[in-house]
Amino acid sequence: MKTKVKHAVAIGLVAVAVINSFAACGKKDTISSSGVSVASSRKTLKFGCQMYSAGGLDPALRPDWAWNSMRYGITESLFKFDDEMNVQPWLAESCKVSKDHRTWTIQLKKDIKFSDGCDMTATKVKESLDRVKEAGPDGSASPENYLEYDAEILADDEANTITIKTKTAYADLTGNLANPVMAIVDAAHIKDWNNGVIGTGPYAVEKFKEQVGYDLSANKHYYKEVPYDKVELLYMDDASAKTMALQSGQVDLVENITNVADIQKMKDDKNYTVDIATGVRCGFSWMNAKGVLGNKTLRKAILMAIDQESICKSNTIGGLYTAGCSVLPSSLDYGYDKLKNPYTYNPDKAKKLLDEAGIKDTDGNGIREIDGKDINLRYVSYDARLLNDFSDAHTQYLKEIGIGVTAEYGSSDDQWSKLAAGEYDFNNNNWMTVPTGDAETYMSNWYSKSTANFCGYKNEKYDALYEAYLGEKDKDKRKDYVTKLQQILIDDAAVLVDGYYNSSMIYSKNVGYAHISAADYYWLTADIVPAE
Amino acid sequence: MNKQNFFLKNKTFTVFAILAVCIVFTAVFAPVLSHGINPLEGNINDAIQPPCRAHIFGTDKMGRDIFARVLYGARISLAATFSVVLLIFTIGSFLGIIAGYFGGIADSVIMRISDMMIAFPGLVLALAVAGILGASVKNAVIAITLVSWTKYARLARSLVMKIRHQDFVAAAVVTGSRVPYILLRYMLPNVLPTLLITAATDIGSMMLELAGLSFLGFGARAPLPEWGLMLSEGRSYMQAAPWLMVFPGLAIFATVVVFNMLGDSVRDILDPKEE
Repeated sequence: MKTKVKHAVAIGLVAVAVINSFAACGKKDTISSSGVSVASSRKTLKFGCQMYSAGGLDPALRPDWAWNSMRYGITESLFKFDDEMNVQPWLAESCKVSKDHRTWTIQLKKDIKFSDGCDMTATKVKESLDRVKEAGPDGSASPENYLEYDAEILADDEANTITIKTKTAYADLTGNLANPVMAIVDAAHIKDWNNGVIGTGPYAVEKFKEQVGYDLSANKHYYKEVPYDKVELLYMDDASAKTMALQSGQVDLVENITNVADIQKMKDDKNYTVDIATGVRCGFSWMNAKGVLGNKTLRKAILMAIDQESICKSNTIGGLYTAGCSVLPSSLDYGYDKLKNPYTYNPDKAKKLLDEAGIKDTDGNGIREIDGKDINLRYVSYDARLLNDFSDAHTQYLKEIGIGVTAEYGSSDDQWSKLAAGEYDFNNNNWMTVPTGDAETYMSNWYSKSTANFCGYKNEKYDALYEAYLGEKDKDKRKDYVTKLQQILIDDAAVLVDGYYNSSMIYSKNVGYAHISAADYYWLTADIVPAE
Repeated sequence: MNKQNFFLKNKTFTVFAILAVCIVFTAVFAPVLSHGINPLEGNINDAIQPPCRAHIFGTDKMGRDIFARVLYGARISLAATFSVVLLIFTIGSFLGIIAGYFGGIADSVIMRISDMMIAFPGLVLALAVAGILGASVKNAVIAITLVSWTKYARLARSLVMKIRHQDFVAAAVVTGSRVPYILLRYMLPNVLPTLLITAATDIGSMMLELAGLSFLGFGARAPLPEWGLMLSEGRSYMQAAPWLMVFPGLAIFATVVVFNMLGDSVRDILDPKEE
């Protein structure tokens, strides 16, 4: 009997404790009449996004980190891109360039402050850009692609201008300065470069939670009104997790649900808004010319064996990618319509091509041999933007013409390190094609003298044309060069193009407005506002 | 006791043995049952189709027939599971008998290695081993074997130590029996029933561990039709196309239940306490 009484008391105490804990939880967060999640009467945005490179923020060291800090609304740069990828002033007011395109005088905006309260003076901007030059060689962000290390930067605090003198004549340095790697930070006062970068963006880092996300707070010194007091940024790598988090109310806003069925469901549901930007990103597989894929006939056959249109229209990919044959999206003004693709889907022709080249299956195991060995290609990929699905689909198509493929799927870090080390035959990734509003940097991926040429592709005609493109300042002529460069890559069957990715932003009724930009550099901005 | 009586007397064993045989038959005759559909081939134009006449379990994200993949998955899952159980049973029993019989340095070395292995959580250590070796079914089998043999070694050792100094063993030694003969003739038969029961009950858990490794990307690699991998592939379609997870999930569930129940009934039959 005593035992029963003890049990009853214990159960009672536990019940009281549980009820109290629920009551305590209830006091912390309330839902306003408008549906906006309000914590202690403060407006909080809960944002779900993919974690790239462990969520680091140092813009000068890794491209992902530079993108993180700008995407999270922590940093801003002197210039930015609009949705047509035109360069617009951001922290800069205007820019003057000398006739030789070697001296750039940038007028800075007045009354801009970093989130720590310091004024963004010309000296501060110079410190930030100098720091990029100092730290850049230690990382993989390659800031020299945007501003040469030899560039001289002069600050004039009185006139509120900086002058950049370069040895190279840049066609348009402002586009380069718009890249997240060139974000302006308070270099002198940052103590934690990994997760505590101080910028001029609408939000500032309050707390970093490893593998979980960031707590961000409004930048009190921002030059415009910041709509949210706090942002809870939560990492969620899985497309379904993002959808379910949105449905359950765990988050108000997510970027890039990469699941066709889920995104369609969101589009059909009136409680959610889906904003999709016409992509300037291209999904493509590098084909390693230093390995078996150095064989051009094999590359041609591979391109002819894969039905890109069907893949991009399938239930697996449909709507999130637009099929195309070139490394630059058809939506950009680089003469896509003028391009001719000699390797359209034709598996029979692909087989015939291989047979004629002596690449046959002589031992009857279903896999063709080259130099007496079965063709077994290493396909490196990672789980983002449907890349693994593309890799699976490619594998399936290639098997039909007798080409073996072994999948090596890992993290984005694995993919990058294998790309840099040349340990792959195919290496699938999704790149921003006009990172400076121009294709110059991106097209250097196939320029044989570039450090960014990770696939060992070499074509003297391409190199000569690329060098001429570098020296050209006239915009129309530059576009012509890019069109020709694309055609060379197509003719050489140098790249296996997945398609052109359309970025998306999906939000619930708690959010009044949000927008995904074409440039994909800007996720959290002051334009994202709570519902009224 | 004739055979008919044995099966009638142990009805649970009989039922689950028949079911287990059915599962094995499913694996063996997968090409016939799937009407010759290749589980590795699909058409992307037919991707993510719900169950219909042409594809009774629907299709996956590459347009492959899920029914065929589930059937063929039995081959991979059963082969890998039986390999693991056989390996850990053999290695563990052998080392345990050696340690228990000889004692001394052999015992210390084997048991300290065993202690080291069980100092880590099993699946975590298996993940580390599979991570180092690279993702494949073979490496997953090696990884789980490496972390699971210790149970059998410790069991066999304690059972051998129990009888090591009994008179009949001493008599065998005195009459000049060789060590291998003693181990095979006297030690092994005494430890075998308990180890067999353990092995039978381990089939289900080993299958889950293998599926777990594949689910986490450390086991079978795409496009192999392995149940754990199929679950992982279907995860992102959990809401929109649940059949991608439901059927491989049911296959794992049914197989694990059948082999667990079979193991339990074997234990009921062989357990000396029940006699």
